Amino acid sequence: MSGEDKKFKSTRGIAAIFQAKLVLMVMINLAQLWILAAAIEAALARHYKELLPLVVASGVCWLISLSIIFWWKPVGRR
Amino acid sequence: MSSKNLSETIEKVLSDEREVRAATAPYQAEFPYERDEEAQITRREFCNFLAVTSTALFLGAAGFAGKAAYDSRNIQSFPPLKIDGAKDLQAGSALNFRYPTESDTAILIRAADGNYYAFGQKCTHLSCPVYYAKESDRIECPCHEAGFDVKTGNVLYGPPPRPLDQIAIEVQNGEVWAMGRIAGGHES
Repeated sequence: MSGEDKKFKSTRGIAAIFQAKLVLMVMINLAQLWILAAAIEAALARHYKELLPLVVASGVCWLISLSIIFWWKPVGRR
Repeated sequence: MSSKNLSETIEKVLSDEREVRAATAPYQAEFPYERDEEAQITRREFCNFLAVTSTALFLGAAGFAGKAAYDSRNIQSFPPLKIDGAKDLQAGSALNFRYPTESDTAILIRAADGNYYAFGQKCTHLSCPVYYAKESDRIECPCHEAGFDVKTGNVLYGPPPRPLDQIAIEVQNGEVWAMGRIAGGHES
């Protein structure tokens, strides 16, 4: 097996994982954008009781995105 | 654009690129890097950028909610103001005044039952000035066809998300005084 082939085989899985992470992050960002818009709408309408659940939801999204970045690492072949 | 113009434009852009490459060639030799690679962004970098965006969106939502919550607790008090002309107001009519500042227009309505009601004149949808419609006994917004209850300021129909700001009034010796302003839909 040539060096190029080895390199391709070793990076193929990592690229797929980063692609999956990227897709998840984009979806989380879209959800957070929606939450921010809803929070602004609720604040302007003075529906203050809706603000806390929205901020909590945004925080959960943020924690998920942090976990994706820092803890979702590709596992080596065993 | 004709094909001649298009080909001229393409040639100009390409020649600009060639000129830049020619001009930077000595520096490229000393500090070699690939211009094409520089323009690329990896998945990992884009993921990191999205994480930063996620942080910013969370902080934005939290900050906005925090400011709104702080503002809701910070109830302003305004000095009383005598509303000129209110004494002579006929039932089923309205007049405009300014309260609490000169830039805040308000509307005083004397309803058919003879009682006075006052509201901020800004529609809570997009701040168009509302008016009293005598025939329907409602406060209406002409911009997007919204209607408000004349006694409570509550939204009857249309796009506004909350009631009109209410102005507390008192009748003293036949004179009508504005005593304060309460944000419509205010939750304690």
